[in-house]
Amino acid sequence: MPLPLYGFVEGDTVGVLIIADERESVGSLAKKLRDAVSLRVATTDEMEIVYRAVALDPAITLDQARFAPLERFDLRRKHGVSENRNLG
Amino acid sequence: MLKREEWLPLARKLDWEFSYTTEREVFPEVISGRPWLPHSAWKDWDESFKTSYREYVENQHEKDMAVYAVRDAVGRLENVQNLATPWLNGLKIHAAALPLGEFTATIGNLRGARFGRDSAWRAMACFGALDEFRHTQIPLLLMHELVRWDARFDWTHKFYHTNNWVAIAARHFFDELTLGQNAIEFQIATNVILETGFTNLQFVGLASLAHEAGDHMFEKMVTSIQTDEARHAQIGHPVLALVMKHDPKYAQYLVDKWFWRNWHLFSFLTGVSMDYMTAREQRSASFKEFMEEWIVDQFFRTLDEFGLKKPWYWDTFLVELETYHHMLYAAAYTYRATVWFDLMMPSPADRSWLRQKYPKYWDDIEAVWEQLGEQWKSKGPGRENEMAMHAAVLPAFCDLCQFPLSAGTPRNNTATVVAHDGKSYICCSEPCRWIFEHEPERYAGHKDVVKRVLSGEAPADLGKLLTDYFQLTPDTWGKDVCSGDYEWLRNRRAASR
Repeated sequence: MPLPLYGFVEGDTVGVLIIADERESVGSLAKKLRDAVSLRVATTDEMEIVYRAVALDPAITLDQARFAPLERFDLRRKHGVSENRNLG
Repeated sequence: MLKREEWLPLARKLDWEFSYTTEREVFPEVISGRPWLPHSAWKDWDESFKTSYREYVENQHEKDMAVYAVRDAVGRLENVQNLATPWLNGLKIHAAALPLGEFTATIGNLRGARFGRDSAWRAMACFGALDEFRHTQIPLLLMHELVRWDARFDWTHKFYHTNNWVAIAARHFFDELTLGQNAIEFQIATNVILETGFTNLQFVGLASLAHEAGDHMFEKMVTSIQTDEARHAQIGHPVLALVMKHDPKYAQYLVDKWFWRNWHLFSFLTGVSMDYMTAREQRSASFKEFMEEWIVDQFFRTLDEFGLKKPWYWDTFLVELETYHHMLYAAAYTYRATVWFDLMMPSPADRSWLRQKYPKYWDDIEAVWEQLGEQWKSKGPGRENEMAMHAAVLPAFCDLCQFPLSAGTPRNNTATVVAHDGKSYICCSEPCRWIFEHEPERYAGHKDVVKRVLSGEAPADLGKLLTDYFQLTPDTWGKDVCSGDYEWLRNRRAASR
């Protein structure tokens, strides 16, 4: 079932609408968001999805992570990873 | 014969006590506004600068003749065609946003002319309505000649009739400020906040930049409009003073709410124009510097005189003064086909200037422009690569201000989800959220662009969204001014080989 979500990437200047599927993985969602903002932000694998203040395992599904429609999720540098100016 | 100072007070104060109806029936609270007070509380309503109808007609006639003289001298098509491209694109923003927005203020003033609580207020609001009608017709007339040269100037009339996202934001603002508003809130929000604060910035600040850009027609138009604003803006001050006396908490709420709503609208209209659409060498000051002079300094001295405090979100505002229009512009650049004007990438020299003016968070904004430069380098310049250099995923919008979710900083976007009545909304910032939660009945039923797409009301496909919903065409939708072919980028490309 389509799951509309608001995605925000650390370093970006705007939030975007991501249409996800509750059966897809958190890792897949991260890739969708990275692709969506790639014009403005160079992202890396050293970033993680944060939802409701919790960093998520990329292997679990959105359903397992209890994503709800029209909620916010973020792609942020993993804790402890130092900044690269372009995040890339 | 009576002298002017003898008969004018008589000609202004015309109220009488009703005997066949009640004051509440003539001035219902829902249209006149609150606090509802008997006329005895309003009878001393007074404007500083008084005018008679005859004086009004004579003065306005002179002003109009002056505007048309400048139009005839320097406002012809061939004069406009010689203006710098960034300025011309900024002109397209103002041409679209101004006239029909002013017409809504005609209607708001007519509400004041009928439901204002004192006859002198109502008389001044009559003149205010005529002023705003003048502000509608002047830009429509001046820009009309340009349509045969550039169809985007047709947006001078068309803009508010489209569902372009900027028009949705502007209509949302003006529908609440003027059309669907009671007389008291209209006069305070429009005269005190918008006209004493933000249109000073718009019409005086922008006029000086127009002068530097050589656009003397626009300069004359906005300075002439500003002379009317200065007169009718005085309507709101005695209204605010009385509301402050009887309900200071409500007065403060109105100031806090409308300052924020105006801030976001003018960040887009004026911030982007001043810092990105005016050639760097023609900028006499940054948007922030204009804001600090006209708003932070002068306007807040005015509020202080009323006993009002700075809005509770002042620290948030100070962050946004450094970031918001930069975040908006960088986002808008990657969605430029969704607007009716062209945008350009700031050059390294432009960005040095911006860094100097906005040092606190500029590194984070700079990173976005660097990435965009790299993207053009790898894809190559040219019209054929315009859409490859355009974002394909829909941006998200605030359910209050209707602008993109570009508040906060690149490291900390302040968008926050709000639950109301079983539904989910998103607001770009704490102040937008605060306004939404104070009056949810006003805002909760409105659909932003995202919700329109999700409901099927607007197309999900970007191409159809541009043409069928935003009413743009391949000729009128926005592009990069140089199609990525910037000299500084060419130099970089050459240097990296």
